[in-house]
Amino acid sequence: MRFTIFQESRKGQRKVNQDRLAYTYSRDTLLLVVADGMGGHVGGEIAAQIAVRLFIERFQQEAKPTLKNPLKFLQDSMLRAHQALGSYANQFSMLETPRTTCVACVIQSNYAYWAHVGDSRLYLFRQGGLIGQTKDHSKVQYLVDQGIIGANEVVDHPDRNKIFSCLGGLVDPVIDLSRRTPLRNGDLIVLCTDGLWSVYPQEEIARALTGTPILKSSPTLMREAELRGGPEGDNLSVIVVRWGPETLADEPTTTITETLGLGEFQTEIDRTLTLTDRKGAQRDLTDDEIERAIAEIQATIKRYRR
Amino acid sequence: MGVTNQALPSGYQLLNYRIDRQISRGGFSIVYRAFDDGGGPVAIKEYLPSSLVLRTEGDIVRASTAENLTSFRYGMKCFFEEGRALAKINHPNVVRVLNFFRANETVYMVMRYERGRTLQQQIQMRQDQVSERLVRHVFMHLLNGLREVHTHKLLHLDIKPANVYLRTDGSPVLLDFGAARQTLTNTRPKLAPMYTPGFAAPEQYREPDRLGPWTDVYGIGASMFACLAAFAPQAADARLSEDHLVSAKKIWAGAYSDNVLEVIDWCLRLDPHERPQSVFALQKAIRDIPPRKRKLTFLDTLKKKLFSEVV
Ligand SMILES: Nc1ncnc2c1ncn2[C@@H]1O[C@H](COP(=O)(O)OP(=O)(O)OP(=O)(O)O)[C@@H](O)[C@H]1O
Ligand SMILES: [Mg+2]
Repeated sequence: MRFTIFQESRKGQRKVNQDRLAYTYSRDTLLLVVADGMGGHVGGEIAAQIAVRLFIERFQQEAKPTLKNPLKFLQDSMLRAHQALGSYANQFSMLETPRTTCVACVIQSNYAYWAHVGDSRLYLFRQGGLIGQTKDHSKVQYLVDQGIIGANEVVDHPDRNKIFSCLGGLVDPVIDLSRRTPLRNGDLIVLCTDGLWSVYPQEEIARALTGTPILKSSPTLMREAELRGGPEGDNLSVIVVRWGPETLADEPTTTITETLGLGEFQTEIDRTLTLTDRKGAQRDLTDDEIERAIAEIQATIKRYRR
Repeated sequence: MGVTNQALPSGYQLLNYRIDRQISRGGFSIVYRAFDDGGGPVAIKEYLPSSLVLRTEGDIVRASTAENLTSFRYGMKCFFEEGRALAKINHPNVVRVLNFFRANETVYMVMRYERGRTLQQQIQMRQDQVSERLVRHVFMHLLNGLREVHTHKLLHLDIKPANVYLRTDGSPVLLDFGAARQTLTNTRPKLAPMYTPGFAAPEQYREPDRLGPWTDVYGIGASMFACLAAFAPQAADARLSEDHLVSAKKIWAGAYSDNVLEVIDWCLRLDPHERPQSVFALQKAIRDIPPRKRKLTFLDTLKKKLFSEVV
């Protein structure tokens, strides 16, 4: 796989950052996760942290080096995260379960798959145009769908923070799954929390990121967004992936995953803000894995024997 | 005296191959010459890291401690990486893998046997200067092989004269794709020595996320340099703090064409971005070099003749 990736989380004007984000990839599959812990509730940041961790850990167990069924992986992980939050609350006798939104995306064999719960978003841009997006599980989105308010009224609406689906809620989450979406080189996948999308309309994000190397434009976008957030500015986070080899940058920035060994992963959990340690996720090869690697190599030798 | 790993003895029957003799012993493996069922020669690489003593007698590889086993299994990934990489590539200038199997509690890679010597040996044997023609010939063909490697989205990451084999007919073969090795360094120091000083690019030491075709291009440049100098250029990590490398253009001015020397210097730029960004770009630069002494074409001779007649 070849891609360029950027991720950043900013605190805005809040005391704590309850956003968490991470990506990890094996040789052949990439996972992106963003979670926005819910502020009004106890331990929003714990919730976000647990959700992100759970995605990463499950991925590293199952992407060997690809996921059998990416959509099922996303759905199961959402549910497991929801359950994990419940048991976490139980374990620590918390009165209220910590809650979080979550959006996650898997890219494998040039296809993207995503799932979300709540109002953290994914946008898929191609040549500056929006070709895919999530639809918030929020009251205002419902009002928009019903034609009661216009899309432009969303960001100022008094109820704009009310979401009806989250991980850790009293009822099971509503999980939306995308379709299997083919990607082309140059496509931009953007995952973000409401701290970003509420101050940066989708068209402007597209404009800011199209036609310039994302490692240049994304930090600028985040700085600008934090400014726009003003004195009340919320936490804001983004992961941007430009799919395929970077052709815009004047220096090599493309991540090339083929140098990863069998069963290895490269992981970045939002660098600045991670609560806990990163324990070396290195394991030995099992006998099973050795047999499979050999079978794979033998099959390849046969295939390429002229 | 240190204990070392025992090589398989001559005559040993390994599956359907009969071991003839050990050809080489490296950091990660032992290479043997062997014969297949039909009596044809093959080269067999046995995964057996020298930093771990695993076989003091007999044939079975045994890790003495749990930690040893962990390191052993961990390093095996790189061996698989090599097999996986080579299995896909069917090119006259890249060593061909014929088989891959598990035995004796370790893994083996069977390759087509090549007759000749490594470019390293070739350089060391030469008394006089290596000719420009030889350098161009070897590297043009080698680059064809490397281009194929890059087409498969693989990087070699250890290009150096010791990993280039010269067949008796003079054509080069790229060997030794222990590619993903650099991933071993941080975590398992026991299996460490992954880049070869002088030939590894600076980003291999510092910025593994900036690896690309230009990283192998550095190795090519360093190998060309070594061909002329008979020693490796200053190591890239040392160059980063104090660059003592004298440009090829200065050292060999007049002895080789300016263009060959410029290409070497171009490949050896510390900034990955300043090097040729692809093998193709590099080949183009080499191809564009005007030959030093052009052989007279038929037309030239004719012209000359006519000219002399007129005069
Ligand atoms: N296919 C082959 N035919 C003939 N000789 C070979 C072949 N492959 C390897 N050799 C010989 O074995 C030597 C070592 O091979 P290679 O570079 O692949 O392993 P290595 O350097 O020992 O690897 P490692 O660093 O993994 O231990 C070569 O320099 C060459 O002399
Ligand atoms: Mg070698």
